[in-house]
Amino acid sequence: MNELDKIPVRQEISVAQGGAKRTNPLANVFDELVRFCQSRSMFMLHYCTGCGAIELPPAMTSRFDMERLGIQPMVTPRQADILLITGYVSVKTLKRIILTYEQMPAPKYVIGICSCTVNGGMYWQSYATAKVLREYIPVDIYIAGCMPRPEAVISGLRDLMGDIKSGRADNWKRYFQNYDHYLGNQQQLFGEDWQTPTDIIAEAEHYGLMTDQTLGEHTALLQKHQQPLEALEFSLGEKREKIQGEER
Amino acid sequence: MSKELNLWLDDLLQDIKIIKFKRKSSRRVRIDIAPEALPALLELLQGRASYVHLSAISCVDWIEEDEFELVYHVWSYETNSLVSAHTRVPRDPGVYLSVYDLYTPAAFFERDIHEMFGLYFEGSPDMEKFILTEWNGPPPMRKDFDSEAFVNQTFSWEEYHPQWLKDIEAEGGGITTRPEDVR
Repeated sequence: MNELDKIPVRQEISVAQGGAKRTNPLANVFDELVRFCQSRSMFMLHYCTGCGAIELPPAMTSRFDMERLGIQPMVTPRQADILLITGYVSVKTLKRIILTYEQMPAPKYVIGICSCTVNGGMYWQSYATAKVLREYIPVDIYIAGCMPRPEAVISGLRDLMGDIKSGRADNWKRYFQNYDHYLGNQQQLFGEDWQTPTDIIAEAEHYGLMTDQTLGEHTALLQKHQQPLEALEFSLGEKREKIQGEER
Repeated sequence: MSKELNLWLDDLLQDIKIIKFKRKSSRRVRIDIAPEALPALLELLQGRASYVHLSAISCVDWIEEDEFELVYHVWSYETNSLVSAHTRVPRDPGVYLSVYDLYTPAAFFERDIHEMFGLYFEGSPDMEKFILTEWNGPPPMRKDFDSEAFVNQTFSWEEYHPQWLKDIEAEGGGITTRPEDVR
């Protein structure tokens, strides 16, 4: 099997972050082309919370037609670029959102639609609803409204496309760079034994995105009780044993 | 036919001394009854009067009277009418009888009420957590649970007028069209 360390990675460190300037004059042109292509082919995860999802079918289908901008729905988080949070986030849903978000490959973008993702919206005094989404995962674009019309959704997506094209949409890096902060907020809500199947610290090391904010007291707490992931045992189970028993 | 049946049922129910009977409309009847007599009434309605469908059990917390009000809504397909049987049980110790033996769907409603109000139903098959599987606080629908205080203690808020917006406004920018200008 492949060792995780031996897989070659292309590390993107921009000039603003103190990385070396790229010497090849064509490199920047190439980067720009890549970013243009990324912004024109976005796969949106079919994962909807709350009520804002009702605005997405008209936005996706022929009336407003998001697909002409290159935005298409995708069914699995492993193949998606955009995670749309379309409404109130209950504490139970938030766990699933974080699991989903961590499974998405980078670069990944989060869009918070509706007032509920900004500040709880009309559920501001509900005991079961998480209020500020960006405390738990980094959000690239908020589209406020209760709920925003398809035009507003598409306008927000176009803003995101502009950000990707200009290279500003790199909030997914913040999750690795400030993992301690996000994990602390998650632990405050879900309890100290909160653990996701994805090893974010190892991924941050792998992508070269470790900063002094990545590790801290909360990650120390996580590492104290973290169970290493084990591969699921593959067997045909009872059915096979039954067949074998009959053969005998 | 069903109207006649309803009238007969009215007469019969009005004959029972211990209940308060009130017809709300042609298809609705309200009955107030003491908690110890409620299972017997439901048995009567189900077995003798074709009220076979328990549509819901709802609960109201009357904190000033220190009582829970339980409302059993039973529906009859023969007479097309609904009987709402109201009863009140004391909040403390908050234990009541299950009607699971009469109506099996009661298990679902009773489990929900136990979770939301903390009212325990004796004889119900499952009183475990149902929807709030990740909730460790007090039953949240009780009137003495202060949801707002809990929210303020647990969650933090996004600022509506943050520093970065103030900086933009100091340079002459900011929100160009305020909501009150549009309305």
